[in-house]
Amino acid sequence: MNRLTSKLQNLKENKKKALVAYLVAGDPDLDTTLDLMHLFVDSGVDVIEIGVPFTDPIAEGPTIQKAHDRALKNNISLKMILELVDKFRETNTETPIVLMGYLNTFISHIDLVQSIGENSADSILVVDVPGELNLQTYGITNPNINTISLISPTTKDDRVESIAKNSTGFIYYVTLRGVTGSSNLNIEEIKNNIQKIQQYSDAPTMAGFGIKSVEDASTLAACSDGIVIGSSIVEMIADESKTKEFGRIGEYLREMKTAIS
Amino acid sequence: MTFSNSNFPDKEGFYGEYGGKFVPETLMYALEELENTYNKLKDNKDFIDEFYKDLSHFVGRPSPLYFAQRLTDHYKSGSIWLKREDLNHTGAHKINNTVGQILLAKYMGKKRIIAETGAGQHGVATATVAARLGLECHIYMGAEDVRRQSLNVYRIKLLGANVHPVDSGSATLKDALNEALRDWVTNVEDTYYIIGSVTGPHPYPMIVRDFNSVVGKEVIEQSKDLFGKMPDAVVACVGGGSNAMGIFHPFIDIKETRLIGVEAGGEGVSTGEHAAPLNDGTPGVLHGARSYLMQDESGQVKDTKSVSAGLDYPGVGPEHSWLKDIGRAEYVAVSDDDALKAFHEVTELEGIMPALETAHAFAYLEPLMKELDSSANVVVNVSGRGDKDINTVAEIDGIEF
Ligand SMILES: Cc1ncc(COP(=O)(O)O)c(C=O)c1O
Repeated sequence: MNRLTSKLQNLKENKKKALVAYLVAGDPDLDTTLDLMHLFVDSGVDVIEIGVPFTDPIAEGPTIQKAHDRALKNNISLKMILELVDKFRETNTETPIVLMGYLNTFISHIDLVQSIGENSADSILVVDVPGELNLQTYGITNPNINTISLISPTTKDDRVESIAKNSTGFIYYVTLRGVTGSSNLNIEEIKNNIQKIQQYSDAPTMAGFGIKSVEDASTLAACSDGIVIGSSIVEMIADESKTKEFGRIGEYLREMKTAIS
Repeated sequence: MTFSNSNFPDKEGFYGEYGGKFVPETLMYALEELENTYNKLKDNKDFIDEFYKDLSHFVGRPSPLYFAQRLTDHYKSGSIWLKREDLNHTGAHKINNTVGQILLAKYMGKKRIIAETGAGQHGVATATVAARLGLECHIYMGAEDVRRQSLNVYRIKLLGANVHPVDSGSATLKDALNEALRDWVTNVEDTYYIIGSVTGPHPYPMIVRDFNSVVGKEVIEQSKDLFGKMPDAVVACVGGGSNAMGIFHPFIDIKETRLIGVEAGGEGVSTGEHAAPLNDGTPGVLHGARSYLMQDESGQVKDTKSVSAGLDYPGVGPEHSWLKDIGRAEYVAVSDDDALKAFHEVTELEGIMPALETAHAFAYLEPLMKELDSSANVVVNVSGRGDKDINTVAEIDGIEF
């Protein structure tokens, strides 16, 4: 079974919520990304989401945009990212890995996407492909990876169902109107919408975009199957990119883990 | 009357294999809402009447098809006709589209207008129609373009709109579009995004084309009146491709007319330093549509180079990609130097100062008039006037005010 699917099933059976953490590959450099991935796991992260840098990341706020820019200065490509995952897998074969990026970088490397093996990345999330479209149409097909679709507060009911059906990994519920790193969560609306999604689908639903505080984390974990944290981690990575003292990130993740448990 | 005589795009918004709707989920409902509104209104008599009334009384249409005597003499062959979009209110073809889209915004009850702009002409045209309806307006513009199109920046501000300079990436049109899309994702419920070219996700390329098609329709009638047949060639510059699409579209079935799009060749197509995706790009996905794109082998979008801010864009409207592949239109490129030369030439010979974008179309007359029959009628789409470019041209010519 796919590593991501079985991990999420396992958590659900044990009535636990998933902690998903995001970083951008190659920010500030690939060796540091590898260290951070291990730090994530040691701090309680269940699923790692690796941002695949793109020149025009239209769904990202300034924090993650800048991380993409920094990574692109290092000429990070999908090939290098898959090599990074291989290195990670030398010592960790447990933690599922999701590649999150934009369609153009994946379709430029269809050969690589199709050759992803069992012991590599586990899932792909393409931000700029609407959920009811089938990624297979674009050549993104591989028995070893599943796909994740986004549902947002503005998704109409009739589309929720078809999107939920197409999502083989989990459903990513975008918790706000806006780009990554914005704030102003509307908790009531989020609760209602996630309930609606769960009526249509048994797939796990993760909540993400704009989650920063432990309070948000615990409230949202209570009404979903887990939470995704991105911008606040990426900001801490940027702050310590010279010193590489990432102790604060470990602490922060452990607090988050406690908050959702 | 209806706007469009074409079967394209298809239901999913594709022109052959180009186009589509590649956007973050949050925008999907807004695109659907826009598509439904447009499909309902485009055959509605009141809506069409209102649009054409604004085009004649606010924009000043129809624009003349003007015989360029001295330019014709200069090339010693054929007849050169100028479609005078530079005479429109606000000085470019861009107003045709904004007058139409602001009506859609009004019908949809949107209170806040956003737009991206490169040369500033679309920013001015958007700020103008927003002012006319008293709507809040925000214009995104690359920091580099804010610098080189400062006159238009000031015009936009005078019209009561907010200009947001964009520093990210190459700080030009592409980055302004990114930022406008991010604004839209954030404020989607009360905001109407007036895209300025035949780019972006479906239904924008279709809507912008349809509103600009008035240009080509007028040319067909004017050609009959003025020289009794269809032109042998229609020439237009291509940035995102809206002025070209507007004049090409009604001609698609008129096979005797060659359609020639002129892209920005920058330092020369062979140098890689240009903004000519149809000449030197490969299909890719940017800003919600699949189309020819300047990208590297990893699928990263390349920086572009052009003396003209309005053409300085790595992508192009999907319908142009389709017209290129089926061979219905030809796409060529003209260098910065040749465009600047044409700018001066047309100004001196005709007393018409074209925008630097438009100067690219004029520059292609040099090879084209040699190639064509001496009886050929050629129409150049004068997409805009050049006042906005005076600072750029003066700087290049080493003149300080
Ligand atoms: C005068 C003029 N012509 C042409 C263009 C290029 O745009 P398009 O290719 O959409 O006509 C611009 C864009 O700013 C412009 O201002």
